[in-house]
Amino acid sequence: MSEVLLKSLKKVYEGNVTAVHDVNLKIKDKEFIVLVGPSGCGKSTTLRMVAGLEDISGGELYIDGKLCNNVAPKDRDIAMVFQSYALYPHMTVYENMAFALKLKKVPKPEIDKKVREVAQILDITQYLERKPKALSGGQRQRVAIGRAMVRDPKVFLMDEPLSNLDAKLRNQMRAEIIKLRHRINTTFMYVTHDQTEAMTLGDRIVIMKDGFVNQIGSPEDVFDRPVNLFVAGFIGMPVMNFFDHCKLLLENGVYYAQIRNAKFRLDDFQQKALKQNGQKPCDIVAGIRPQHISVGSGQLEALVEVNEMLGSEVNLHTRSDDDEVVMVIPTVDLTVDVSMGSRVKFDTKPRLIQLFDKESGNNLIWYDKASADACSPVCKAYPFS
Amino acid sequence: MSKNKSTAVATDPKDAVTLKGNRMKHLRQNCPWLLMLVPAVLVVFLFNYLPIYGVLIAFQDFMPGDPILSPLTRWVGFQNFTRFFQDVQFWPLMSNTFLLCILGFIIGFPLPIIIALSLNALKSRKTAKVIQTIFTAPHFISLVVLVGMLTLFFGRYGLVNNIIAGIGGERVSYFLESGAFRPMYILSSNWQDFGWSAIIYIAALANVDPGLHEAAILDGASRFQRVIHVDLPAIMPMVSVMLIMSIGGLMGVGYEKALLMQTDGNLGVSELIATYVYKQGLTGVPDQAYATAIGLFNSIINVVLLIIANTTSKKFSETSLF
Amino acid sequence: MPAKAKAAKSPLMQSSTGDKVFYAINYAFLGLMTLIILYPIYFIIIASISDPDAVLGGEVILYPVRLTLSGFQKILERSDVWRGYLNTIIYTVLTVIISLIVTIPAGWALSRRELMGKKFFMIYFIIPMFFGGGLIPFYNVMNSLHLINTMWSIVLPSVLSVWNLFMTRTFFESSIPEGLVEAARIDGAGEVRIFFALVIPLSKAILAVMALYYAVGQWNSYFNAMIFLQDANLYPLQLVLKEILIASESTMGGSGETILEQYRLANQIKYVSVIVSSAPVIMLYPFVQKYFNQGVMIGSLKG
Repeated sequence: MSEVLLKSLKKVYEGNVTAVHDVNLKIKDKEFIVLVGPSGCGKSTTLRMVAGLEDISGGELYIDGKLCNNVAPKDRDIAMVFQSYALYPHMTVYENMAFALKLKKVPKPEIDKKVREVAQILDITQYLERKPKALSGGQRQRVAIGRAMVRDPKVFLMDEPLSNLDAKLRNQMRAEIIKLRHRINTTFMYVTHDQTEAMTLGDRIVIMKDGFVNQIGSPEDVFDRPVNLFVAGFIGMPVMNFFDHCKLLLENGVYYAQIRNAKFRLDDFQQKALKQNGQKPCDIVAGIRPQHISVGSGQLEALVEVNEMLGSEVNLHTRSDDDEVVMVIPTVDLTVDVSMGSRVKFDTKPRLIQLFDKESGNNLIWYDKASADACSPVCKAYPFS
Repeated sequence: MSKNKSTAVATDPKDAVTLKGNRMKHLRQNCPWLLMLVPAVLVVFLFNYLPIYGVLIAFQDFMPGDPILSPLTRWVGFQNFTRFFQDVQFWPLMSNTFLLCILGFIIGFPLPIIIALSLNALKSRKTAKVIQTIFTAPHFISLVVLVGMLTLFFGRYGLVNNIIAGIGGERVSYFLESGAFRPMYILSSNWQDFGWSAIIYIAALANVDPGLHEAAILDGASRFQRVIHVDLPAIMPMVSVMLIMSIGGLMGVGYEKALLMQTDGNLGVSELIATYVYKQGLTGVPDQAYATAIGLFNSIINVVLLIIANTTSKKFSETSLF
Repeated sequence: MPAKAKAAKSPLMQSSTGDKVFYAINYAFLGLMTLIILYPIYFIIIASISDPDAVLGGEVILYPVRLTLSGFQKILERSDVWRGYLNTIIYTVLTVIISLIVTIPAGWALSRRELMGKKFFMIYFIIPMFFGGGLIPFYNVMNSLHLINTMWSIVLPSVLSVWNLFMTRTFFESSIPEGLVEAARIDGAGEVRIFFALVIPLSKAILAVMALYYAVGQWNSYFNAMIFLQDANLYPLQLVLKEILIASESTMGGSGETILEQYRLANQIKYVSVIVSSAPVIMLYPFVQKYFNQGVMIGSLKG
């Protein structure tokens, strides 16, 4: 069991700058947690507090049930992969990997066995006698992971480990980390600013902004059930379309979303949730993912300004009144003219419309329940999971 | 992620326990560092701070061997200072020191900049490297040897006089001529150090983006125009920093060299405040309190000059030392 | 070859007439400066191996005249020079060893962000850069420490230069990535081990620069020896040289022929001693030049 528990963890720098506000997070044994957010959101600081590289200003940190606030990094039984790899330049790959074990006074034959075993897994056996300088970026990355692996840590921390690699290598290493993860079978905490990494690697994703946790949930949760405008805009490529000046209407006990002059009768689960909350009609921002738009017919109309043909799909940058609307249309579904300058009618399914309170930016349906616990009863009722 | 200091601040009373733990952790971490500082702190204390404490004797009627502070200490206030101001030597010393410094500065400050720009404008990097190596070599010649070399060139039986005598002229010992002291002092200092002082500018010039030069070429700038409009602006911040430093050190001229060059003949111009301090305090019948007062007066001028230079520079160019 | 030919024709490489004039003037200027630097050194060398009479007669200007090594023979016989040499070597070696022990760890400690009282220590070390007690109080301190007329009066005051300390600190701040230190902490290394197993092996450049700076400083210094040493057996080379090279200029008395004869002998010794004393530093210099330059550049990074 190596569970990590962050109990209202706080980080305040000198001059009262709060980098991390009350982070509550329970990482289950062998879970892969990804912290994601724009730069400066506090994700790295949170990870570094778990590592013991930053002081904890408030709250409690438990690793494997033990209060670790003031335990030195070396006694926390963690390993970390740094963005810069942080390989010791004067040591060979072998020495780099053996360093931690040597400090723990592990007998030499055992160190040797462990290092070679890990090198085998990572396919770096032939580089063991080289210095890091003589390795490529991808190889250094493997050594950095290997150095962490030989220790069999309770928690495996990774701080943007792939951001120094080029796009192709990054994809490759991402796949390898997924494979490794099942071999190593330990608890992972992974920090990144790249949503693709977050979505593909994480069992659960923690989305942070300005030192606050916005949402904790599975990749499906954060994609399909964003709790607020920030999460909705942060996750998903291209970015979700937001329609300003929309209204939530309640007519004869039935909720409608009004976008411009188009009225969408909301789906049953939305009706139910809104009713439960006793939601009153109000101004809203409606969010529709570019992938959730169909063209050819519908109540809304837009002018195509740019048409990007990608082969299997076409990206349309359009203007609908004041709003810029991006649409991703699979080429097989294309039935109408979408060349530049043409006008297209478009539509979406009511259950795919995200409803955000105009004032707070919170999702009218997912907000409260989702943030309290990653898996709320409502989530389970969701028709697509 | 964050470059801030990682010292934590308590915002909540219940976090106080955490912070106390943090402090314990820091203390453990700091122990080795504090130990590492001990020798340096000790050396600076012994050889820099104890002398600063010893400056107190400038305000005393002090005889060598007296303790610096005791009930018997006779305080005389600024008497030693006023004595210096009334000393017949006061104005000659001030003007000798000031003139030697200002003349040295006028030649010694721009020369390394010109050398650096000139070396940087060479087409061949390799030639520039070789020339730079040659230029920096004299820096490693000791003062004693440098002054020795001066005597070998300008002494009564030095090269210059040998040539003069060879063509039937009269030998002149330049070391006994007061008019020759400043040129010899300043030119030899520059001979020794212009290459060394240029390194800092050369390093700054090496960091100039080559794209800037290419853009200037496309704009039709000649090589000389590029020196003026690309290279020179690139080293200006460094120039201001060096300017502040040299103004601060203006009155702190290298007395060790002046002392070596002094002869009875040139004493009228070669006696500087610092050499006078040495002679008053350590030779003949030492008058340590008086010498200390003169030295303190000199240091204070230096500090004041440095502060003036620094604030002026801060005001006009936004570069400053502190 | 074709690539090179093409490069030569590139428009960027073509210089206008104005540029050609500029380059010509530049070459002429640098050539003149090179000559000014090299000639005095060259002259000392040729004068040292020429007949003293030829030197005195102004015959030796461009090349040695009547080659002789008698000057070198004479210097070999001077025990004071060799004793000074030996003393200087001892002082220099001691200074370098102690100064590295003092400077390097302190520089590392000062480069740590988490150092307690960092501000205090910084100010503590900055003040002596700009203000000092002056010569007499310094002498009195040495006197009360009973260091006068011992070798330690030469070594100890030279073991820490605050400039060098700050240079070391800047080097550590700019060239030891914080990530490495953190990785070592996570790997289980304590601060002492981090210093010895990580920092020292990665700091050969600064160790070399510091060793060279302190060594050259000690090798070339004479003033402290002059005021602190009375026992001629303790004199370092520079103090011995001072007597050979300079003392004679103002003190040599007599008139006419005797003084000329004195000069004839003395000058030859002077030329030779300049060479003998500067040779180690000058000969070493091209090999260590890159470290010296590195040092200046480290110093130029504003910490």
